[in-house]
Amino acid sequence: MRLLILIMLAFGVATASTAAADPIPAQVVNVRPAANVVKRWPHSDRVESKDKGMALLFWMFALASVGGAVFVVTRRNLIAAVMGMVGSFLGIAAIYMMLYAHFLSVVQMLVYAGAIMVLFVFVIMILNRPEDEPVAPSGRAGQVLGGAAILYLVGRLVMLLIYVRAPNPATAVAAPGPTPEGHDWGSVKAVGTDLFGPDAFPFEAISILLLVAVVGAIAIARPLHEDKTIDDEGNPVPDPVTGAH
Amino acid sequence: MSDILFNVGYGHFLVLAAVLFLIGVGGVIVRRNALIILMSVELMLNAANMTLLTFGRMWGDLSSHSFALIVIAVAAAEASVGLAIVVAVFRGRRNVDVDRLTTLRH
Repeated sequence: MRLLILIMLAFGVATASTAAADPIPAQVVNVRPAANVVKRWPHSDRVESKDKGMALLFWMFALASVGGAVFVVTRRNLIAAVMGMVGSFLGIAAIYMMLYAHFLSVVQMLVYAGAIMVLFVFVIMILNRPEDEPVAPSGRAGQVLGGAAILYLVGRLVMLLIYVRAPNPATAVAAPGPTPEGHDWGSVKAVGTDLFGPDAFPFEAISILLLVAVVGAIAIARPLHEDKTIDDEGNPVPDPVTGAH
Repeated sequence: MSDILFNVGYGHFLVLAAVLFLIGVGGVIVRRNALIILMSVELMLNAANMTLLTFGRMWGDLSSHSFALIVIAVAAAEASVGLAIVVAVFRGRRNVDVDRLTTLRH
C-alpha cells in the first residue's frame, strides 16, 4: 500500500515537472518571433538568472523538502518524523529565500524549525507511545477506499498540472528585477511597511487570535483533577497553600 | 530536458508546492496517529504559503508576504491548540489513534 502511494507520487512528480516546464519554451517559440522575445523580455519569468549554481541549489533544497515530507508520512518512529519535518521546513525556508522572501524565510526558520518543532517534541515525549500500526484504513474495504481516494486526488492534480500554460508574454507582468527599489523587495522594511500600512487590521487580528489560542491551549490541556479534596483512598488532601485539612 | 534542469522558473516552485501539498494530503489520509496528521497539515499550510509567495513574486505583489506571515501565525495557533487537544485526549484514553476515537460517532 505504502509502496503503491510512493510510486504514484513519483509518477505524479515526473508527469508534473514535464507538464509544467514544457509549455514555456513552446509558447515562446510559437507565439512570438525570437527577435521580438529578446526585445520584449529584458527579464523573463525566470526567478533567477540562468546560472547553473542557482538551479543546483534549487534542486538540492527541493529534494530536502520533499524528502523530509516523505519521511514525515512514512516513519513509524515519531521523533524521526519530527526530524524529517524540520529538514523539510529548512528546505522550504531556503526556497523562500530564492523567491526573494528574505524576512519570511527567517520567520519560517524561527517559527517552524524552532518553536513548532519543540512543541511537537514535547508532546511526543509526554505521550511516549509507539504507533501500533502506522497505516490507517483497516480491512480490505478501507484499503480499497483509501487507495481510490488517493488515486483520485493524484489524478486530479496531474490532470490539472498537464493543462498548465505559461502566462502569455504579451500580458505577463515581469517580476521586479534588481533595480534600486527592487533590491528592497521582501525585506523587513518592505514587509513591515505593508504590514503596518494597508494590512494593519489582519496584523492586529492575528495578535488577538494568538492570545485566544494560548488561553485555549492552556484551558484544554489543563489537568482535570486539580481541585481534588479527597485522594484515592478517601483521605482528605491538605490544601496546597495553607496545609489545612 | 536540460532546460527543465537548469532554467528554474516559477513553474518549478509551483510544482514543488503542489508535490508537498500532495504528500501532506497523503499523510492525512493514510496515517492514523493524530500527531502525524497535525504535521501533515503543517506541511500543507507550508505548501500553500509557497504558492502564495511564488504568485506574489510573479505579479510583483508584496501583500502576499503579509498574507504568508498571517498564515504562519494561524499555523502556529493551530499547532498549539491541536497539540493541547491531543494531550487532553491522550490523558483520557491513553492513545491518540484517530480510528479509535469514535465516542462522538452516533
